[in-house]
Amino acid sequence: MAATYDYAIVGNSAAAINACEAIRGVDREGSIILFGEEKYRCYSRPLISYLVAGQIESRGMYYRPSGFYRSMGVEFRKGTRVEEVHAARKTLTTDGKEKVKWRRLLLATGFKPFIPPVPGLEEIDYLTFVSWDDARRMLARTARPARVLIVGAGLIGMKAAEAARARGAAVTVVEKMERVLPQALDAEASRMVWERCREAGIDIVTGQGVAELESRGNGKGRAVLEDGGEMDFDLLVMAVGVRPRVELAEGAGLDCSRGIEVDGHQRTSLEGVYAAGDAVNAMDVVLGRPSINALWPVAALQGKYAGLNMAGKEVPYPGCNSMNAVEFFGLPVLSAGIVNPPDDGYEVISRRSDAGDYRKVVLRGEVLVGMLVAGRIERAGILTSLIQERANVRRVKNFLLEEAFGHIHLPRSVRQERITETAAGIMKAEAARDKGV
Amino acid sequence: MIRIVPREEYCIGCRLCEIHCIVQHSRSKNIIKAFKSERRPVKRVEVEEEGHVSFALQCRHCDEAPCVTACLSGAMQKDPRTGAVVNDPERCVGCWTCILVCPFGAVRRDEAEHKAVGKCDLCPDLEVPACVANCPNEALLMVEE
Repeated sequence: MAATYDYAIVGNSAAAINACEAIRGVDREGSIILFGEEKYRCYSRPLISYLVAGQIESRGMYYRPSGFYRSMGVEFRKGTRVEEVHAARKTLTTDGKEKVKWRRLLLATGFKPFIPPVPGLEEIDYLTFVSWDDARRMLARTARPARVLIVGAGLIGMKAAEAARARGAAVTVVEKMERVLPQALDAEASRMVWERCREAGIDIVTGQGVAELESRGNGKGRAVLEDGGEMDFDLLVMAVGVRPRVELAEGAGLDCSRGIEVDGHQRTSLEGVYAAGDAVNAMDVVLGRPSINALWPVAALQGKYAGLNMAGKEVPYPGCNSMNAVEFFGLPVLSAGIVNPPDDGYEVISRRSDAGDYRKVVLRGEVLVGMLVAGRIERAGILTSLIQERANVRRVKNFLLEEAFGHIHLPRSVRQERITETAAGIMKAEAARDKGV
Repeated sequence: MIRIVPREEYCIGCRLCEIHCIVQHSRSKNIIKAFKSERRPVKRVEVEEEGHVSFALQCRHCDEAPCVTACLSGAMQKDPRTGAVVNDPERCVGCWTCILVCPFGAVRRDEAEHKAVGKCDLCPDLEVPACVANCPNEALLMVEE
């Protein structure tokens, strides 16, 4: 006889953990079981680059204190993969053939690295850079001086590059596009990061793909680039991109061609089945349509709202936007919303200060839809919140690029409401407005 | 829990709140040492000023704090006992996600320590937070909820 749980959670990262906490905020009694595929209790995936670079120790990796699952009253199945979900019978089966019945299920299955079919790749013991085990492998394989080749200059690739460089490795990054971090950053910030990386000794080759790979054993090999250039490496890191992990959702009968689809309450089309996190196509308030923003803070927020709704508290997910906080070799860069306008229907205002700080805002009509700050980043969250609120910024437009831009520039009534109300009030007001639309 | 409410009609823009905040969060809690001989702490309250209007602003200790949800490392937490949003410097890695999402711009970097410690902690060792206690014109009020 399979045990029945009020809540079953597949996944053990940002979305899953925030869902647990949200459920417990509403329902102290209901039974919760949580399945984590890896052999770790919940850790913070984005911190693997800090670990490899020696900026934190292993104990700094954990997202919650050691007694977390017990204190939450959660039955934690560590190192257990859920292989099948049967939505009609409300059961799931694990790789250990354990069968569990559930009343409500959360799919927080996250992402998986996308590995392009490069000839010769399957012969090479390459790394991805998305898990604690990946970090351990990189630590082991950069213990001695190594030549590291990283394919892809997105966030994962560039963080891998920085970490490997901190280990003393000779690092080369190869990127198909013409610049680093082409999605997260605009051309100017991208150039600033490139400059920092170059100064730190990282070699970056853009506008180039790897055409062919040749193994020399022990993970070593030679890469042939599209222009015929050749490069020897001791360690290859594939960081071309990520894809939502949807096998389980698909197996349960969900259409996942663009990630797991959810409604405004993180519900899938299957009764009792919710989804949150990097596998989910959820509302992006800036784009005005669902989008996959595979980002830690977005996953955490979705998990929180999934949990609240699973526990019976009907609250709509407020939506999020594409936002990034990154730092490379001491240069912090924050961005939110649209930083690379797709057409000329946008107004872009930017400024580079004498000190080298960079600040840019993107408007659509009179609405703030994007921002990017590099260098002095303090108070940029005010811009993020205006983007998130789809605020009309006509009256403050001239101040947006000021480093001192703040509530003082907002109309008094808006300012007082923002300051005396808590952010909860803002979110409530927004949720109510969304409902009315 | 307690909250600090700014009253712009009373603020004279003297920035004593910023100074007393720095002193209170210094090692010696002595103004001369804090400013001259020790490493000067990051201020956790900021006076915004434009023309004749000014007010002091610090972390609102939001009930649904965006920084807590967004924090990558789990360092930023809401203390269930006091209601204060506090950053654990031991666990903070300085990823700046809290700065990215704070609607009040109330978190600052400690560049020397590479941590996001520059946020109001409601002065846990004091009965009345230093900025409130030292405001000469009652432009900062402490409200108990």
